[in-house]
Amino acid sequence: MLLNFHMLGWWRWALGAVCALVAAFLLLPILFIIALSFGDSRWLIFPPPGWTLKWYEELFSDPRWLDAAFTSFKVAAVVAVLSVILGFLASMALVRGTFRGRAFLRGFFLMPMVMPVVVLAIALYATFLWLGIAGTFVGFVLAHLVIALPFAIIAISGALEGFDKSIEDAAILCGASPWEARLRVTLPSIKHGLFSAAIFSFLISWDEVVLAIFMASPRLQTLPIKVWGTLRQDLSPVIAAASTLLIALTVALMVLAAFTRKGKKQ
Amino acid sequence: MAAIAARRGFGFALPALALLVAFFVMPVMWLLLRSVTEPGLGFQNYATLFGTATYAKVFLNTFMVAGIVTVITLLLAFPVAWALVILPPRWSMVLFAIVILSMWTNLLARTYAWMVLLQRTGLVNQILMGLGITDAPLELVNNLIGVTIGMVYIMLPFMILPIYGVIRQIDASVLQAASLCGATRWQALWRVLLPLCVPGIASGVLMVFVMALGYYVTPSLLGGTSHMMLAELIAQLVQSLVNWGLGGAAAFVLLVATLALYALQIRLVGLPKGAQ
Amino acid sequence: MTTPFLHINGIRKTFGDVVATDHVELKIAEGEFMTFLGPSGSGKSTTLYILAGFQEPTAGDILLRGKTLLKTPSHKRNIGMVFQRYTLFPHLSVGENVAFPLRVRRTPADEVQRRVKRALELARLQGFEDRMPANMSGGQQQRVALARALVYDPPVLLMDEPLSALDKKLREEIQHEIRRIHQETGVTILYVTHDQEEALRLSDRIAVFNKGRIEQVGTGPQLYNSPASHFVADFVGDSAFLTAEFTRASGGTADLRFADGTEVRGVPLHGADPKGRAELMLRPERIRLVPQPGAGPSLPVTIADITFLGNVTSILARTSWGEEVGIRLPFGHPMASGLAPGAQTQIEWDAASAHAFAARAH
Ligand SMILES: Nc1ncnc2c1ncn2[C@@H]1O[C@H](COP(=O)(O)OP(=O)(O)OP(=O)(O)O)[C@@H](O)[C@H]1O
Ligand SMILES: [Mg+2]
Repeated sequence: MLLNFHMLGWWRWALGAVCALVAAFLLLPILFIIALSFGDSRWLIFPPPGWTLKWYEELFSDPRWLDAAFTSFKVAAVVAVLSVILGFLASMALVRGTFRGRAFLRGFFLMPMVMPVVVLAIALYATFLWLGIAGTFVGFVLAHLVIALPFAIIAISGALEGFDKSIEDAAILCGASPWEARLRVTLPSIKHGLFSAAIFSFLISWDEVVLAIFMASPRLQTLPIKVWGTLRQDLSPVIAAASTLLIALTVALMVLAAFTRKGKKQ
Repeated sequence: MAAIAARRGFGFALPALALLVAFFVMPVMWLLLRSVTEPGLGFQNYATLFGTATYAKVFLNTFMVAGIVTVITLLLAFPVAWALVILPPRWSMVLFAIVILSMWTNLLARTYAWMVLLQRTGLVNQILMGLGITDAPLELVNNLIGVTIGMVYIMLPFMILPIYGVIRQIDASVLQAASLCGATRWQALWRVLLPLCVPGIASGVLMVFVMALGYYVTPSLLGGTSHMMLAELIAQLVQSLVNWGLGGAAAFVLLVATLALYALQIRLVGLPKGAQ
Repeated sequence: MTTPFLHINGIRKTFGDVVATDHVELKIAEGEFMTFLGPSGSGKSTTLYILAGFQEPTAGDILLRGKTLLKTPSHKRNIGMVFQRYTLFPHLSVGENVAFPLRVRRTPADEVQRRVKRALELARLQGFEDRMPANMSGGQQQRVALARALVYDPPVLLMDEPLSALDKKLREEIQHEIRRIHQETGVTILYVTHDQEEALRLSDRIAVFNKGRIEQVGTGPQLYNSPASHFVADFVGDSAFLTAEFTRASGGTADLRFADGTEVRGVPLHGADPKGRAELMLRPERIRLVPQPGAGPSLPVTIADITFLGNVTSILARTSWGEEVGIRLPFGHPMASGLAPGAQTQIEWDAASAHAFAARAH
C-alpha cells in the first residue's frame, strides 16, 4: 500500500507537500541566480528594479574571465579524454581480469572519490611544488584526473559488465585480433558508458575548485578559481552572470548524457 | 602456465594504478610523513593538535556540523526518495530532473546563491520580515545556520539517490502483504518499509557524513570564524601559516576518520554507488 | 593409416581441483556432423573452447589435418562458432555483422558483398541486411550468427547449444535449417547439446560425455541399440531399469534372475566382468502387455497408472518387488483397452531388445 501512490490517502498530500518544498529548496536558488544575472541592481536587490545584460557585457569584455574559461575548458577536455582512456583500461582489468585482489583494486581506484579533497589538495600542492608543476596546465590536468577517474571507472565498468564477453570472443573467432576485437566490437558497444564517463569527467574538472585553490597561480586560473577569488571580495552580479553560464553548460551536458542513455536503450 | 592465466588482465590496470600511486598515494604518504618529521621527529604535532583548546573545538565543531547536516538531510531526503518511486511517472521525472540538476550544478554557483539569499538584505530576511516573523534582519550567514543550510542543500542529492535506489527495488507486494496482515500505515512504515530501506539509508548517511566532515568550500564561504571546520583549519595551517607538520597531522586525523567510515560503508553496504 | 581430418588427442583440462575433461579422444572425418551429448558440467563446452582456443588444455593436443592447432591464437584458427548466448555485435546491422569476418580479413569490397549475400541466402535471411540485432527474435539472431560463422568458409564449425534459449517449435525449425546448411556446405560441424532428441535428429555421430570423459561414440542407432554403459543407456532414449542377479555371464550374453524368482536368459551384456547384482534395461516402446506369459521373457506386474499423452498412452507398471517400468503404446492400441490401475497383467519383451549391465556402485 505504501508503495502505491493512489492508495496513500491523505498521506499523499503530506508527501506531496514535503516534495514540493524540497524541490523548491533545490531549484529556486538556481533560478534566483539566473534572474539576478539579468537584474540591474548592483546590490542584488530582488526582485530587481529593471533588467539588463550589462553583467554579461562586463564578463565578456574582461579578458581575465575569458582566459579563465578557456583554461578551464582545455583542462577539462584533456581530463575527459585521459580519464576515459585510463578508465577503460582499468575497467577491463576489473571486469575481465582473472587475477586475485580485483575487489581490493576496485576499492582502491574508487578511494579518491571519498578522500577529503582538502587533504588531497594540500598533498598534491606539496608534491607539485617539489616537481615544479604547481600552477601549470599539466598540474591541473593531473590533479583533476585523480578525482575524475573513479567516476569514469564506475561508468565504464558498469557498461562493460553489461556487455557479454562472448561477443568479444565471437569477434576473435571471426578472425579479429584481441585488440581489433576490443576496438571494433567492445568499444562501440559500450560507447554510452564511455560517453557518460567523458561527460562526468569533464564536469568534475570544469567545476573543481578546491584542488585549484591551492594550485592556482596568477599566470593560470581556471574559471572556478576566478569565481572564488571574486566571491571573496564582493558578491558582484558578474558572478551571477558567470554562474548562469556555468549552469547553462551543465544543463546542456546533462541533456546530452540523457540522450545517449536513451540511445542506448533503443 | 596456469599461474599466468590466473593473473590475466592485470596489465590493463597499470596506467591508472601508476597515476594513483604517483599522484594520490605518494603525495598523501609524504604529507603524513611530514606530520611526524616537521619541525622535528616525533608526535609533537599531534600533541599540539589534541592539546590545544582551539583545535579541539574545531574537531568537535566539525563532527557536530556533519552530524546536524546528516540528520536534517536524512529527514528531508527520505520522503523525496519515497515519492520518486511512487509518484506518477511524469511528476517523478520532474522531481528526479531537479535533484540531478542541483547535484551537477556548479558548487560555487549554488553557494553564491545562498550567500546572496541569506545576507542581511537578502530575500530570505525580506520574506521573514514581510511575514512579520521578525522585526530586524537575522544573521543567517557567517554562522552555523548558514553552513547548515548551504551544506544540506549540497548534500541532499547524495542522500536521496541511495535511498531511492533501495526503495525502487522493494516489491510492492511485500507492503500489500503487510497491510493484509493487519498492519496500519504507520506500522507498515515503521516495521516494513523503513527496515527494508536500511541499506540505502546507511549508505546515504555514511556518504553524507563523510563528505560533510571534509567539506571546505561551503563552510569557508557561508560559515563564520567561530565555527571553523577541520578542512578550513587544514587549509589555513598550510596556506597562511605554512605549518606543514601541523597541517599534515590534522589531515591525517581527517583521513583516518574518513577511511574508517569508508571501510564501514563497504562492510555494511558494499562499494559506493554503481560499483557493482 | 591416413591422418584424420580433426583429431582431439587425449585432451585433459583441469581448473584447480576440478577436472573438466579427462583424456578426451576423438577422430572426426571431414564433413562429418559430430555432436557432443551429455549432462550439464560434463565437459562439452570446455572441449569446444579448447578447440576454439579460448582455453588451453592441461594436456593433450588438437590436430587439424595432422597439424597442431594449439600454437595458433584463436583469431588465426579460422574456425567458425555459434554460441549459446546471442553474440551479434549490437552496434552493427545484420549485413555488417556477417561482413565483419571478411572486413577483418581485408577482403575486397565487391567480394565482401558477394559472400555476405550468399551467406544470408544460405541462412534464409535475404532482406534483413539493414536490421539491427536488437530488433530481431532469438531464432533470427542465431541464424545471423550462423551466417556470420560460415561467411569465411571455415573448415570446422563449432556450435555450443545454439538453440537452448529458443522454444521447442522454433528449435525444431532451426534444426532443419542447420541440417540443410550442413548438407549444402559440407562443413564439418561439432555441435554441443544436452538434448538427446536434437542430437539424434542432427548428427552423423554422437559422442556421449559424462564427467569429463567420453563414454561412447557412435551413430544414433548404435547408441540406442547397443549402449556401452548404463549411463549411455539411461541418457540416450527413455529406458527402465530393473534390478536382478547374474546367474551366468559370458560371450556377450547373460542370464538373470529377478527378486520374484523369474529368470531371463540370453540378454545382451555390456561392460566387462559382471558379478553379483545386475541391471536389466528395457525400452518402453519395446515392451508388450500380455494377459499370459508367452514365448519371450516376461514378468508379472500390476498397473499403477495410465496417462494419455496425445499420440501415445504411457502406462506405469509395478513389479511385485516394487520397481516401476514405463510402457508406451500408440493411442488406441488394443493392448491398452480395458486396462485400469490395479489390474494384474504381464509385461513381455524380446530378449535381444533388452540389455544387461553390472549394477553401478551407489
Ligand atoms: N573457467 C572455469 N573455472 C572453473 N571451473 C570451470 C570453468 N569452466 C568450466 N569449469 C568446470 O568444468 C566442468 C565442465 O564444464 P563445461 O562448461 O565444459 O560443461 P558442459 O558440459 O558444457 O555443461 P553445460 O551443459 O552446463 O554447458 C564443470 O564442472 C565446470 O564447473
Ligand atoms: Mg556448456
